[in-house]
Amino acid sequence: MFNRGANCRVFSMSDIRPLEQDDIPAVSEMLQRILRKRRDPAPQGMRDYLRELFLDPPCRADGIHSLVHLREDGKVNGFMGVLPMRFTYRGKTLRSAIGGSFMVDRHEDDPYAGARLLRAFQSGPQDLSLTETANDVSTAMWRRLRGTILTEYSLEWLRILRPAGFMAAIAANAFAPAALTRPLARPFDALLRRRGSPPQWTHVADGEFAQTALVSEDTDTAETVSLIRTFATTFALHPEWSQSELERMVVEAQRKANYGTMVRRKVLSRGGKTVGFFVYYGNKGGIGRVIQVLSLPGHEGSVLDTLLDDATKRGLVALRGRGQPALVNAMLGRRFAFVHASSSIVHAKDRTLLEPFVTGQAFLNGFAGESWTRLLGDRFD
Amino acid sequence: MPQQINADIRAFIVENFLFGDESEIPGDDASLIENDIVDSTGILEMVSFLEEHFSVEVADPEIVPENFDTIARLTAFVAGKSKAKAAAST
Repeated sequence: MFNRGANCRVFSMSDIRPLEQDDIPAVSEMLQRILRKRRDPAPQGMRDYLRELFLDPPCRADGIHSLVHLREDGKVNGFMGVLPMRFTYRGKTLRSAIGGSFMVDRHEDDPYAGARLLRAFQSGPQDLSLTETANDVSTAMWRRLRGTILTEYSLEWLRILRPAGFMAAIAANAFAPAALTRPLARPFDALLRRRGSPPQWTHVADGEFAQTALVSEDTDTAETVSLIRTFATTFALHPEWSQSELERMVVEAQRKANYGTMVRRKVLSRGGKTVGFFVYYGNKGGIGRVIQVLSLPGHEGSVLDTLLDDATKRGLVALRGRGQPALVNAMLGRRFAFVHASSSIVHAKDRTLLEPFVTGQAFLNGFAGESWTRLLGDRFD
Repeated sequence: MPQQINADIRAFIVENFLFGDESEIPGDDASLIENDIVDSTGILEMVSFLEEHFSVEVADPEIVPENFDTIARLTAFVAGKSKAKAAAST
């Protein structure tokens, strides 16, 4: 610690170290206040989940840990949640660290905290540092550390199914009593859908996917694990989960109460072969959240049509999800809208490892990211 | 050498944080944070600049105000690193 002069601040030593059990209460309160924007104390269920997720993550790797930043008085004022994951690329196993829940309490008072946390994270022993949830500030920080922003993986897609219901759902998200307008939206949407106009970005017409949607069936946990592992291998770079690791992730992903009921289905070709798979969450009258769409190469369009058909039949007003390059390509012409909400970013010490990411050959986001966790979309009270 | 380091750091700050306006450059002992010249993003940009331009390695614990808060400290930090590097290679 030293003083810089009469009217200057006092500097002292802060520290960064791996997350410990005793840090969980402080991290939970920060997460509740900063990321979840809630004023009430963090519920015990959230503390338990943070402890389980970040101190005993599904995939473990020596030397790859979640990190906390400590103020000079030893109190935790920053956090980087880290989930280790192995990837395989060209027959070689790569260690990766997926960073998320990145936050600093009153960061304007301590601009070094966030900078040091991100830098410490990237300096870990992993081959790949990844994130899929970087906000604008984090994205700018990653960029300064030579992170590569993955444009197509960062696009949030939106497909409106029922426009009046969609507007009512948006209004209800901002102001809860606006949910009362939902019944009023239904006749308008029904009328629009019956018009049977050619594909529009504003809505889905009755029978629009009658010719192109395929048959889909529910999957249980075991089959979901099997399908994700199978489809993942169609990517040049993909996670190398063990059976038990992925099973735990799939089970945890079943709980996203804020998003709605989980729908998990495989898509079958007319010959009965499984050509795709999707997981989304949503309730009638609500906006569905898709966390994973997988397809055999060449079947992306029909898998998307099947997904949209399924959501339309369940009464959802829109679907949104995260891009994958092959999917984004198939979305062209299917009246999807794209926005940017958060970024998927990769940093590799060996720059040649960036190639599968920039060419769209990497399995990233969803179960190869952070969106499967209960932190996104679940309630803990 | 420190004069050249100082000049390079000043030029980097003018170009990247002051939009080329040399009249806004702070004194060597003025805080870059308190004068709103850099924030957490700017600190990381400075780290990358030091590593790439001066070929020095910046360890995470070294990213502290004691090394980064003023142009004078940045200059001293880089000069010390360069000196240590030169001594190690002889």
